[in-house]
Amino acid sequence: MTTIKQVAVIGAGVMGAGIAAHIANSGTPVLLLDIVPEGAKNRNAVAEGAVAKMLKTDPAPFMSKRVAKLITCGNIEDDLDKIAKCDWIIEAVIERLDIKQDLYRKIDAVRAKGSVVSSNTSTIPLATLIGGMDDSFAKDFIITHFFNPPRYMRLLELVGSGATRDGVIDMVADFADRKLGKTCVTCHDEPGFIANRLGVYWIQVAMVEAIDRKLTVEEADSVIGRPFGIPKTGVFGLMDLVGLDLMPHVQSSMAGLLDKSDPFHAIYRESELVSKLIADGYTGRKGKGGFYRLNREGGEKIKESVDLQTGEFSKSEKARLGSVKAAGKDPRKMMEASDKGGQYGRAVMAKTLAYAAFIAESAANSITDVDDAMKLGYAWKTGPFELIDAIGVDALISMLEEDGVEVPALLQKAAGKSFYKVEDGDLYFLGFEGSYAKIARPDGVLLLEDIKRKSEPVAGNRAASLWDIGDGVACLEFHTKMNALDADVLGAIKTSIRTVKKQFKAMVIYNEASNFSAGANLGLALFAANIAAWPEIENLVETGQETYKALKYSPFPVVGAPSGLALGGGCEVLLHCDAVQAHGETYIGLVEPGVGLIPAWGGCKEMIRRWAENPKFVKGPMAPSAKAFEIISVATVAKSAMEAKENLFFRESDGITMNRNRLLADAKERALSMVDGYEAPEEFTYRLPGEAARVAFEMAVDGFHRLGKATDYDRVVAGELAKVLAGGDTDVTEELSEDDILELEREGFMRLVRNEGTMARVEHMLFTGKPLRN
Amino acid sequence: MTNAVIAGYVRSPFTPARKGALAKVRPDDLAAQVVKGLVEKTGIDPNAIEDLILGCAFPEGEQGFNVARLVTFIAGLPRSVAGVTVNRFCGSSMQSIHQAAGAIAIGAGEAFICAGVESMTRVPMMGFNPLPNPVLYKAMPEAYMGMGDTAENVAAKYGLSRADQEAFAVESHKRAANAQAAGKFVDEIIPIQTKDGIVSEDGCIRGETTAEGLADLKPAFKADGVVTAGTSSPLTDGASAVLVCSEEFAAKNGLTPLARIKSVAVDGCLPEIMGIGPVGASKKALARAGLTSADIDVTELNEAFSSQALASISDLGLDVAKVNIDGGALAIGHPLGATGARIVGKAASILKRDGGKYALASQCIGGGQGIATILEAM
Repeated sequence: MTTIKQVAVIGAGVMGAGIAAHIANSGTPVLLLDIVPEGAKNRNAVAEGAVAKMLKTDPAPFMSKRVAKLITCGNIEDDLDKIAKCDWIIEAVIERLDIKQDLYRKIDAVRAKGSVVSSNTSTIPLATLIGGMDDSFAKDFIITHFFNPPRYMRLLELVGSGATRDGVIDMVADFADRKLGKTCVTCHDEPGFIANRLGVYWIQVAMVEAIDRKLTVEEADSVIGRPFGIPKTGVFGLMDLVGLDLMPHVQSSMAGLLDKSDPFHAIYRESELVSKLIADGYTGRKGKGGFYRLNREGGEKIKESVDLQTGEFSKSEKARLGSVKAAGKDPRKMMEASDKGGQYGRAVMAKTLAYAAFIAESAANSITDVDDAMKLGYAWKTGPFELIDAIGVDALISMLEEDGVEVPALLQKAAGKSFYKVEDGDLYFLGFEGSYAKIARPDGVLLLEDIKRKSEPVAGNRAASLWDIGDGVACLEFHTKMNALDADVLGAIKTSIRTVKKQFKAMVIYNEASNFSAGANLGLALFAANIAAWPEIENLVETGQETYKALKYSPFPVVGAPSGLALGGGCEVLLHCDAVQAHGETYIGLVEPGVGLIPAWGGCKEMIRRWAENPKFVKGPMAPSAKAFEIISVATVAKSAMEAKENLFFRESDGITMNRNRLLADAKERALSMVDGYEAPEEFTYRLPGEAARVAFEMAVDGFHRLGKATDYDRVVAGELAKVLAGGDTDVTEELSEDDILELEREGFMRLVRNEGTMARVEHMLFTGKPLRN
Repeated sequence: MTNAVIAGYVRSPFTPARKGALAKVRPDDLAAQVVKGLVEKTGIDPNAIEDLILGCAFPEGEQGFNVARLVTFIAGLPRSVAGVTVNRFCGSSMQSIHQAAGAIAIGAGEAFICAGVESMTRVPMMGFNPLPNPVLYKAMPEAYMGMGDTAENVAAKYGLSRADQEAFAVESHKRAANAQAAGKFVDEIIPIQTKDGIVSEDGCIRGETTAEGLADLKPAFKADGVVTAGTSSPLTDGASAVLVCSEEFAAKNGLTPLARIKSVAVDGCLPEIMGIGPVGASKKALARAGLTSADIDVTELNEAFSSQALASISDLGLDVAKVNIDGGALAIGHPLGATGARIVGKAASILKRDGGKYALASQCIGGGQGIATILEAM
């Protein structure tokens, strides 16, 4: 297969620039072109401006500021011939057919033979785009529909036509899968493809029903949220995020393109409220607010929301619908509740799920593609067909019949059955023709959920389990809430070490939750501190130190494979692995100071060692400790695996997997590659500067304190951290062992945990999720 | 006693640390190009040079070993030219001139290259391994006080408003930009060869600086402070060098002296207000020369911070119009070890260029010191 080595993106708007940034994240050089602004001195101002803006955007489009160098900025007038070197040319210009086709002709004149051209259009059908274009162009042309923001949204919709040359879709899909980490869903050339077709319907029906049923936006968002596994932004919060001004455009375009028989027309109506909000500048979070706004008048930030009936803003009131509380995460319970929340949930979701069944066959190749599209394009935890299964196909059919909504043919086919089923541990889905087919994973995709369906854990307890993932490799999975670490997790690690030693060649630490681990269980720590169970706390610290050390010096290779958050103790466990194979979207840090603590499961010890052993870093007794202090004292969190390497949370040699679904297979392969001739690492001997370093660190913190950047209690916490990283009262002529540093960590931790300032921080974090600045 | 004269002055462009055009140049290479440039420009026979006295505030890393000796090698000077590295923080390269003058006075040599260098990009302020003495720090924390904090202290003690400091900074940039535009730095700058081409222009000067622009900056050292990045000298990369020789040597060898060294002084002050160091040192040097500040026609006063420069000007009763007429460190930059030789060389050059009888060059020094040099026109 031809591989993509260089890419061009034409159009440096939010989407085009974001796509270019993510291609740069993959290490691929990318050309970013836009028009020459009228009368501009700098002819590349648009593209260059877009890159400069992205370097400041949060969440960051770039995984590391360094990769921005892979983008070459230019303009369409002077630089279009440079696309001759590109294997893939992505058009992301304004949604106007004449402009797009004019550009295609120019592209076609200079592009290399066999290069792929794709459009990021979300509203213009492929057939229209290639209408009147040469066959040779049509052969190489597809739609690649990215979701915003391109780095973070895992869905990529691909649309080809009958004219598309064999291999074009595969080439782009392979690159998007492995290098960009996307899950590619092939869609039919239908309006809105899959995700937006359903998503736009869902938003529309949710808005109309909320207005008609006189719900507040908070109430609506609470219903169309957690009970259905939908992000807590619900629908109104989502519209604020996407931009209110986009909605009328997308909806009217959809209304124009869809067949008259499409159920969309029945729920579609232009909203006066939305038009008024847009006219008043309430275009969403990018403007001065949308359905929600932050009122800064009077110096305070007050969250307000709009009254859907009057259009007036007032202080946002948290929704308190009993049905939402009672339903928890149960969609059926939510839909069956009798209050206005239940009625609303049913009205919105029954229609939406029916619409999913209505469009599936015409828009997609399978129901799994529809589910993937909504999960990865709209961040639903479960796809529409999985939701239907959770509600019950028959229950949904009855609801629709009662409500007088037409039951789509696909739903009727599933009557008395479910859309998915498990047989002998294998997962099957219902095909459009009515029979079940086994779900096959692509090569290089290994999912723990598949293994778990087919086997029992080799070892484990309520908090963590050890699984046999084949070829002599075991996988240790944490499964507590937020994968918080406690005595049971530590116990499972110890048991796993014994088991792997006897029965396996290597171990991978991995799980399929959103977050690898949010760190130690703070709730338990707070409880223990409140009853002054100091020996128990100290014992837990010591056990953690022993366990992580045992992991590090175990006689087999251990590979950590994180994705999402890896904080505090979750970071420390990775610091003790022989190697890490990380998902690109890993957010890692030693954040203990945020809750008034210091890393005490070997985090300080390992960070000093990593900087001391880094051949590129400055020498001297102070430098490694100083760097560790700089990173830990402010609770630095690396915002990608790439950034984690810059901070040495990961080593230069550690691997990065862009596609979440390929992480376990890559980690397993890495572990196996280390088996032959494996030797546990040698103990490190520390030579630290002692008191002088502590003084230097305290001087630095005092400077930040005077500047108002460090609080009073920051000084206390940083003081304890300084003692550990300085090596206590050691002298530079003396040597310290790993256990010496661990003892310093433990002593500092215990002094802090007894301090009210720390307890206030822990409590605040537990109840608000935000750090206390005391 | 044998008189010492300044018989040549050059410097590299001064460019911002990290982002500037000299960020990738090793300080020893930078100093060597400047020293070589001085030898070529003055036409001195290198065999006649006794010693290279090189000032550097953080002589470690690429500025480490005995960097002065290494610079003699890189610059291609004869092996007979010795090299010594001198550290008096910001006063380092002015100190090198004082050492040369002292050596000449006692007959310990006739010609010296007195230079200074600092790559604040490549060797951070405080160095790589700052290891303060814990006992001293406890007893006397001000011994290690950050420079910005001392600038705040001076501002508070002298009641200097933020606006006054900003007006002073704007004027410094204006003067430097005008001098630059008029080509007044061309003679003193040695173009530096880098991997990315030749660098011959200063990089820190911002002629467009306005009081309004500076007023928007946040305090840099204290939450409710009055000192900002705009009223502090920027972190800078640069090198400078002057030729110091006996008056007889200059005459005998056809060198053109710029000025005679009339008197010198150093003086200690309280570390927490180190910025007023120039006051005591200048007063001593003036007394030694039998002069008062009214006799001074040209002053080069290092602008580490607006606040300390304003306080020193006020205490010394200097005429602001005659201080730093081509701009000061707030605009041009302050590569710590290189500043002393720059301002002495600059003061001598201005005496020669614009006329006048006496010039004063003075600066403050971290830890609580001042250093001053009085020059006399020839």
